[in-house]
Amino acid sequence: MRELTQAVVLGLLIGGIYALMASGLTLVFGVMGIINVAQGAFLILIAMITWKVWEVTGLDPILLSIATTPLMFGLGWALYRLVIARLRSAPPSMSVLLTFGIALSIEGLLNVTVGNRFRSATPSYFSQSFRIGSISLPKAQVYGCVAALIVLGALYLVLQRTWTGRAIRACAQNPAGAALVGIGAQRAAAFAFALGAATAGVGGSVLSVLYPFFPASHYDWISRLLGIIVLGGMGSLPGALIGAVILGLAETMTAAYGSLRWATLVFYLVIMVVLLVRPHGLFGTRVREDAAAGAT
Amino acid sequence: MSDMSEASGASGAGGRAWLRSPHTLACVVLAGLVCYPIVLPGATYYQTVMLLAFLLAIQAMSWNIISGFTGYVSLGHSAFLGLGAYTAGILTPHFDVNPLVLAPLGGVVAVVVAVAVGAVVLRVRGHAFVIITIVLLLAMQVAATNFSSLTKGSTGITLPLPTWPRDIQNIPFYYVFLGLMVATFGFSAWIRRTKFGTGLVAIRDDEGKAAAIGVNTTIYKVLAYAASALFVGVAGAVYAYFLTFLNPTGAFSILPSVAIVLAALAGGRGTLYGPLIGAFIVQFAGETATVYGGGEQARLLLFGPALVLVVMFLPHGLLPTLRRYVERRRAAGRSVEFIDQSGALERQPIKVVDRARTQAAATGETGPPEHDRPLLEFRGVHKRFQGLRVLTGVDLGVRAGSITALIGPNGSGKTTLFNLASGALRADAGEVVFAGRRIDRMRPWQRAHLGIGRTFQVTRLFPSMTVLRNVVAPMGSFSWAALAAGAVAGHEAERARELLSFVGLARFADVPAGALSYGQLKLVELAQVLMLEPRMILLDEPASGVNPSLVDRLVEIIKELNAQGITFLVVEHNIPLVLELCDPVATLSRGEIIAQGPPSLVRADPAVLAAYLGDEAAEPQRLVDAAPEGD
Repeated sequence: MRELTQAVVLGLLIGGIYALMASGLTLVFGVMGIINVAQGAFLILIAMITWKVWEVTGLDPILLSIATTPLMFGLGWALYRLVIARLRSAPPSMSVLLTFGIALSIEGLLNVTVGNRFRSATPSYFSQSFRIGSISLPKAQVYGCVAALIVLGALYLVLQRTWTGRAIRACAQNPAGAALVGIGAQRAAAFAFALGAATAGVGGSVLSVLYPFFPASHYDWISRLLGIIVLGGMGSLPGALIGAVILGLAETMTAAYGSLRWATLVFYLVIMVVLLVRPHGLFGTRVREDAAAGAT
Repeated sequence: MSDMSEASGASGAGGRAWLRSPHTLACVVLAGLVCYPIVLPGATYYQTVMLLAFLLAIQAMSWNIISGFTGYVSLGHSAFLGLGAYTAGILTPHFDVNPLVLAPLGGVVAVVVAVAVGAVVLRVRGHAFVIITIVLLLAMQVAATNFSSLTKGSTGITLPLPTWPRDIQNIPFYYVFLGLMVATFGFSAWIRRTKFGTGLVAIRDDEGKAAAIGVNTTIYKVLAYAASALFVGVAGAVYAYFLTFLNPTGAFSILPSVAIVLAALAGGRGTLYGPLIGAFIVQFAGETATVYGGGEQARLLLFGPALVLVVMFLPHGLLPTLRRYVERRRAAGRSVEFIDQSGALERQPIKVVDRARTQAAATGETGPPEHDRPLLEFRGVHKRFQGLRVLTGVDLGVRAGSITALIGPNGSGKTTLFNLASGALRADAGEVVFAGRRIDRMRPWQRAHLGIGRTFQVTRLFPSMTVLRNVVAPMGSFSWAALAAGAVAGHEAERARELLSFVGLARFADVPAGALSYGQLKLVELAQVLMLEPRMILLDEPASGVNPSLVDRLVEIIKELNAQGITFLVVEHNIPLVLELCDPVATLSRGEIIAQGPPSLVRADPAVLAAYLGDEAAEPQRLVDAAPEGD
């Protein structure tokens, strides 16, 4: 029983962090129909920067997300304006290839600049835990999850309560209609993409403490995140949260009762089973298939 | 974009056209490649570079089947190379034979995995596929690491060294990969020529439309994925023997997948030669980067930005871009000859093979069409889009052998009703019955196979195909033999030509669909639907945007087809046309049928007038005058 509770609690903590990382991906897909395969590379890029700053200055890696988040926001904005916006009229498959190319470029760049080695930021609380009864909560996981929840809450507020947030949601539902009521689709899209990238700011900083990483780790991360949004239903924020928690639980459960090595594979099996039963994912909605192809 | 061989065949009027054919050039290059190791047997390094280029070409051309022809991008295609490699690695010790003998098994394993994954992921449209292909590659890597009893985990598998003398080195591999490359090319060329290949391009261009003309999109996509895995798997087994060592990170690395995508994209995806040419470019560029730039890292730094640049500045690839440039220069000197209407107007009266009766006879349905029994029937059909209730309990029967009209103001739910009949949408409640069978749960292509054809309000032809291919694409029923039938020659193409001359457009068979006028497109779409040998055709605004002389011909054609036993349901805003052509006329307003009966009755019905003109219903005559402008 204790073991089970421990696994569930850990799974939820990790799930919260996954949720944050996946929310950016699903947001960008929901608004623009773009699968940003570079999201994993963004995470590793920020993790690498966080690690470097931590190593040089000793500043707390998780607190550093206060700086890395705006940095990633700006980078996302610039990337959208300079590169991705040029592709708006192309078929969606091209945007996948484009962001894939961006991911590879980031990986190559990291390889050359910081080297192809495992890194990990290890602040003082790295190996400490909070204890509640017999359950132990690693401090790093808790801080990471708290940071993730704060950002998720902020993201929710931005989308629900601000004019820009409403504009983004309007563009997601009906780009033409949004344009008619005076929303600049390009600006809204750039903002959404930047927002999606910004989640990788916090995500990357947290990642640098929780997991060892090296430049090619981004494949591992992007496939987890993509798995989450496929599981939850692409473009659905609640779906991403649920998918993230399922992944977190699947991982800790397999680790507790099976072996850690199988954890990822179990999750991929879960995805296949879910897709078998619900081809559009847990929270996915069927698109109107009578519309002409190419319309998103 | 994908019809190079046809185009060159058509333009080559002169006797020496074969000299300029790309195939001739390809044969010369092939002969050179065959001779190369004979002439220079000692150039081991260059032979290795070449055979790796062949390997990349095999993969890029295979990838092209699912991602180029069909339009579903696979980002982890080298997973099949790894699968084939592991098949050889695992089986070789058990069989004590040369691994090359086991190579076909690598293909079999790759196909089995592709079918299993495809059957789960490709059932729906959308983006799950591309994601799963990345995930698949990494899952394979995890699996290969963890199933250590089978794969020896991360330690890896060592295969026996080649049995041939050391001094001929890689020459046998060179020829095996060259042979596989030629085979892959032949396979891919063959697929393009078949109805199957036409169906794949149809899916890429407009998947919903493809389903509406009877293409079983799920089977097509899964087959395409399997076809794209086959030769990669075989090559993987050979590759394992070539490397003599396998480990999970090497066999399921992502970089080879990137090279595949880059090669096919740079060369021109969807074309026959593009991926082949692209593979050589990428292989040589990658090799140069590795030699002069410092190992694998340089390769990555080259491929990443190259992919970004190709997507941004050369999205169609080298080959199509070049061809377009050449065509533009050629076309500058010629006058365009096919935008005239007289050609379309001289119609050749040809019988349309009548399945309506033959099928009824074959299935033992009672005798000649019963004119009082509905062929298509909606029973209490409801449909809502989120909050918007579009249809609220529609009951409508379409008599067999009739030309029934469905009129009603814009937004009254006419097209939605069509979509429920053709399967593009599903009703929330109620039944749709066709020829005595409930069809409301069937997939669109099943309904097409039963004999329901439809045209679209705005024509949806496949823009990258010729008119002829557009008409060949439909599948009246599913059979494996039909998949392999030729698309530009043979029985199917013959019939397509007949139908084109029936609608008067035989001259335009080899013209790209995009070059026709709007009215002509409507006729091509009708010919396309006739290819299904339908018992019933749903026409969505056949006359809108068509000039009067073509409308007259359209009416003539519809009447002729109706005389041959085909039932019509027509949505049309041109009220005089409706009154002339159709009987009965049903009126849909606010999601309900408000009037139904002979034209004269409906015309005078106050409820119909109110629906069209507002509540102050005027004298009947005004409906006829005002309605066409109401569109």
